[in-house]
Amino acid sequence: MSIVRGQILGILYQCIDELNEQLAPEQQLRKAPQTGLFGGSGMLDSLGFVNFVALVEDKCERCFQVALSLTEDGAKQGDASPFETVGELADFIRQLLIDKKAIEG
Amino acid sequence: MVKGLLVSDFNAENLSAYLKNDVSDPRVDTSTIPYGQIGQTLVDASLPCWQSDLDFIVIWTRPEAVLETFGNLLAFSDVDAKRLYEEVDEYAAHVLAIRHRAKVIFVPTWVIPTLHQGHGMLDLVPRVGVSRALLQINLRLLENLDRGSNIVPLNAATWIEAAGEKAFNSRLWYMAKVPFANEVFKAAARDMKAALRGLGGRSRKLVIVDLDDTLWGGIVGDQGWENITLGGHDPAGEALVDFQRELKALTRRGVVLAIVSKNDESVALEAIRKHPEMVLQLDDFAAWRIDWSDKAANIVDVVEELSLGLDSVVFIDDSPVERARVRDALPDVLVPEWPADRRLYPHALRSLDCFDKPTISDEDRRRSGMYVTERRRAELKQEAGTPEEWLRDLSMVVTVESLNVANLARVVQLLNKTNQFNLSTRRVTGPELLAWASRDGRRLWAFRVGDKFGDSGLTGIASVEREGSRARIEDFVLSCRVMGRKVEETMLHIAVKWARAAGLEELYAVYKPTPRNKPCVEFLRRSGLQALAEHVFAWPLRQEYPVCPQIRLIYQAGGFEEMSTDGVEDPDRRT
Repeated sequence: MSIVRGQILGILYQCIDELNEQLAPEQQLRKAPQTGLFGGSGMLDSLGFVNFVALVEDKCERCFQVALSLTEDGAKQGDASPFETVGELADFIRQLLIDKKAIEG
Repeated sequence: MVKGLLVSDFNAENLSAYLKNDVSDPRVDTSTIPYGQIGQTLVDASLPCWQSDLDFIVIWTRPEAVLETFGNLLAFSDVDAKRLYEEVDEYAAHVLAIRHRAKVIFVPTWVIPTLHQGHGMLDLVPRVGVSRALLQINLRLLENLDRGSNIVPLNAATWIEAAGEKAFNSRLWYMAKVPFANEVFKAAARDMKAALRGLGGRSRKLVIVDLDDTLWGGIVGDQGWENITLGGHDPAGEALVDFQRELKALTRRGVVLAIVSKNDESVALEAIRKHPEMVLQLDDFAAWRIDWSDKAANIVDVVEELSLGLDSVVFIDDSPVERARVRDALPDVLVPEWPADRRLYPHALRSLDCFDKPTISDEDRRRSGMYVTERRRAELKQEAGTPEEWLRDLSMVVTVESLNVANLARVVQLLNKTNQFNLSTRRVTGPELLAWASRDGRRLWAFRVGDKFGDSGLTGIASVEREGSRARIEDFVLSCRVMGRKVEETMLHIAVKWARAAGLEELYAVYKPTPRNKPCVEFLRRSGLQALAEHVFAWPLRQEYPVCPQIRLIYQAGGFEEMSTDGVEDPDRRT
């Protein structure tokens, strides 16, 4: 695992911790790459998803000094949604950061 | 489970989630209204959201959403201040109109997003100043809402401050119509939970403090009182004086202070008496245990002496070891983490939200002094030969009055916060109690108790409801401050006297057990009332219930007649 992917996963886990404060125990997300987020095996309803995305965008902006719009960029992926699992989202964010030259590829 | 409805012009699901998932007492279940339905919700009582019993409602709006003129102001239009006030009044009227739909209505004050701030010199100018208008509309709203006794405004500006510069979240707003960052909602949920605890009589009533390195700096036993850190030109010393001032201020809110400290008592008391910068004096403390015993055991001792529950206690100690010990031994006691830096003590105390109460009554302001008086009363009891001699020496006076405008707030407060001597543990709002008491065949008496040491204030409530040829005691409530001084018997005497004058045959009481109201049933068992069933006690009205000869009874003029809706004259009123 690259250092950046690990860093992004760390950010996503922080966001999961914060989001879990709003969720009932049985709905809380596990901090693991394979945890389903939205769509398919996803655990989040639409508001939970929006909250999670807003948290991730905020934290990534602070960490990498670059503005991300995950839903907008995610929509460009066509059928291959990057929000199915935590791991897929981490890969997607990593690629966005490379594209925006916030990190080295 | 406490049930609430969140009425807002924005998506309040995040607030709802924080309220529901907060495991602190009381657990809350909330629902929200559909987005964009605020106007309809406020005016249409037939909507499904109003069809269930609600304990609380939160009405949280953005000023630009509910006040058209304020929206125009944000767009720098020239606005009519009079029209702005009219819109506030109209909005407040809607809020007031729904106040009877729940026990309490929380109304957060209006705030505006940071993107509307930064108008510089224009910000406070008449007609165009946004911040000026915000101050004015909030004040106008508060003045309107003062008319609703169960409406509790909450200061949303403190939640915004707590969340800092990211308080307003544009991402959440444009994606989900959630205007605030979650830090704002977390702070709001904390305040609302604290308020619900306070309204339910679960605010903390007793602060027990350590001495060395807590009330003053240093170890008085080693250094002597002349050398402890307190006041002077010293950052820690000044902070400790401020900390004592904050504690003193708490006593004016009805919180009682006590000391539990490992020290030589004479040395510690000398420091309190002699140090010139001590803000707190011995008479500010209702009790103390200053010895080398286990602090948890001493806390239990103090709580028993003051007839309070452990769940009313906050324990403040600089030592992490002592804090851990008390937390472990007495889980009901709130033991806040305490900063190592003494300069942070005043802020740490101010940050505690466990003292929240909807009002501060005169009783609250006097409570601390009452406990000090109680200490002297106990000393007299030890000197007196018999209980009768003690009561005679006390020169007890009990004043009986009906529910009236002047005592309503205190009666409601006493009903809602009394746990131990409480027959039915009924919790009501002011309007609910007034509505209950105004029905035919019901009476409610409030009892003030005084003696030669001073006034214990309004400390007893008895209410009855006529049921055919019988009367049922609905409320029988007595503050622990005056328990065991024959006030209980005096309250029964009054209820019996009224029921006899009404020509009834029997007065009875049904005890509703809770985990904490055993003292009430213990009294009923020894009161002379007949036990008809395990929790049902009755007095046949062919005979009077004896009054304690050592107690002087006064029936206060006024108030009695207004609440008398059944045509029965007060039996032996003297003025």
